[in-house]
Amino acid sequence: MRRGGKQLALYLVVLLGALVILVPFYMILVNSFKGIRESALFGMGLPSEWLFANYEKVFEQGNIVRGFKNSFLLAGLTVLCVNLFASMAAFVIQRRDDRLMRSLYLTFIIGLIVPVSIVPTIRLMDILGIKGTYFSMIMYYTAVLLPFSVFLLVGFMKQIPRELDEAAMIEGAGFFRLYFRIILPLLITVLVTVSIVVIVSVWNDFFGPFYLVTDSTKWTIVLQIFNFVSLYNTNWGVVFAFMVIVVLPVLLIYLLLQRYIIDGLTAGSVKG
Amino acid sequence: MERRKYPLYFSYPAVVVFLLFFIAPTLIGVYYSFTNWNINADSVKFIGFDNYAALFQEPRLGKALSNTLIFAAAVTVLQNVIGFALALVMNESIRMRNFFRTVFFMPYVIAPIIIGYVFRAIYHPEHGIVNKLLEGVGLGFMAQDWLNDPKWALFSIIITDLWKVSGFAMVIYLAGLQFIPKDLLESAAIDGANYWHRLKNIILPLIASSTTVNILLSLIGSMKVFEMVMVLTDGGPGYTTEVFYTYIRSTFSMGEMGYSTAINLVLFALVTLVGLPVLAALKKREVEM
Repeated sequence: MRRGGKQLALYLVVLLGALVILVPFYMILVNSFKGIRESALFGMGLPSEWLFANYEKVFEQGNIVRGFKNSFLLAGLTVLCVNLFASMAAFVIQRRDDRLMRSLYLTFIIGLIVPVSIVPTIRLMDILGIKGTYFSMIMYYTAVLLPFSVFLLVGFMKQIPRELDEAAMIEGAGFFRLYFRIILPLLITVLVTVSIVVIVSVWNDFFGPFYLVTDSTKWTIVLQIFNFVSLYNTNWGVVFAFMVIVVLPVLLIYLLLQRYIIDGLTAGSVKG
Repeated sequence: MERRKYPLYFSYPAVVVFLLFFIAPTLIGVYYSFTNWNINADSVKFIGFDNYAALFQEPRLGKALSNTLIFAAAVTVLQNVIGFALALVMNESIRMRNFFRTVFFMPYVIAPIIIGYVFRAIYHPEHGIVNKLLEGVGLGFMAQDWLNDPKWALFSIIITDLWKVSGFAMVIYLAGLQFIPKDLLESAAIDGANYWHRLKNIILPLIASSTTVNILLSLIGSMKVFEMVMVLTDGGPGYTTEVFYTYIRSTFSMGEMGYSTAINLVLFALVTLVGLPVLAALKKREVEM
């Protein structure tokens, strides 16, 4: 009896916590179907009349498809660069494990901690003649996300036995073959984790493009919603609809692949 | 296989990108923080310590510094307490455990700027759900203008951030808890150790690595807070919620690039100072590499 009561109390606490998390999501969704007056009340009730016009208005802005394309392009290409560069580096860092590689590892870890110097980054892109280009954004994101990825991958690489390398080399495989045919396939789980972290970080980021992108045709979806809200913040219904559109892709990725996020973070950051 | 046979050039792409696009801007930044680089100047001139001298005379820097530290300390402590408590409960066999775990982590994948917009609605003095709830349960006198009242603005931002990050700490703690052998806890219980004893003497020491990772990540992450503050209060009212990155953005918007770079370097120094001890703890793990 007492035990049952305790269980019930715990359950209620968890339920309440889940409610606190879910209410804002519900609020965004339900208000995205309300008219201008009703949505400004931020009510929790269902719309008196379901309006899809808010979504039409968001798409009428015209740029939204371009914003989506920009976000996808940046996220996709950054995923490629980070996965390739970080896993190759993690491979030699963990396998060589000499003084040089240890200091390299430490340098990456420091990059995990210290903040980006964003204003000088603008200057650097200018000097390199790539200011405001997609390429500059991809390089910026790759540099920022490398430390965390190297950290996760080095942790994971320890679990792949060296004997495997030796066997492959005796069979006459070169290093590229060894790496692409044997090591990479074994890293799939953690590479998926890295990819999700990269996609979510790039998709949600405002800081980078705010400073580094001036040309509005290269704006990401998050920069567009920021601009949209500054201009049209009088119609909350439309703003809520825009929010649904921005949140939906990452939420879907999360719900489909959450196992990888949780497993990968666990393996990389706790087991050590 | 001999260690030195592994080809160094495998690390070159990562090294080049990291040096060029992360380390180089930091170094360039040190130089520019000693210049008058701004939008109106014809040329960039070296002005010695002028930026820093002016910066340290501004009360605004003090506000940014103390707010950033208060924010980081509060978020770190509360995120870990909430995350750990949630993990303890979720580690029990409760119904729909996976569903709850999915829900608690969910805010972590949402853009901070979006979270800021929703909470602007949630904290709305007239129509926001917080004040409506307080009125609903007869606590109407506690209703506030959460984001525009200097007494409550920073507090409200902290709560918003906790809403986002607590689930992350929970996941890391849950991972640590799963490595604790069940029979160890059971035999301790049989020997008469009550729950607090088991928590203090078995659970806490055994999840030390989760705690380290969590504290490092929340400390570092919260000192770099930007979008959420920008959207919720933009540092206001007055400078009561000013943090480093809102300060940098505002001086940058005024075209004071050299000056904002100097502020960035002060943040750099601060994060390094706080981060180094935790980094030392992480280096211990590296020994096992």
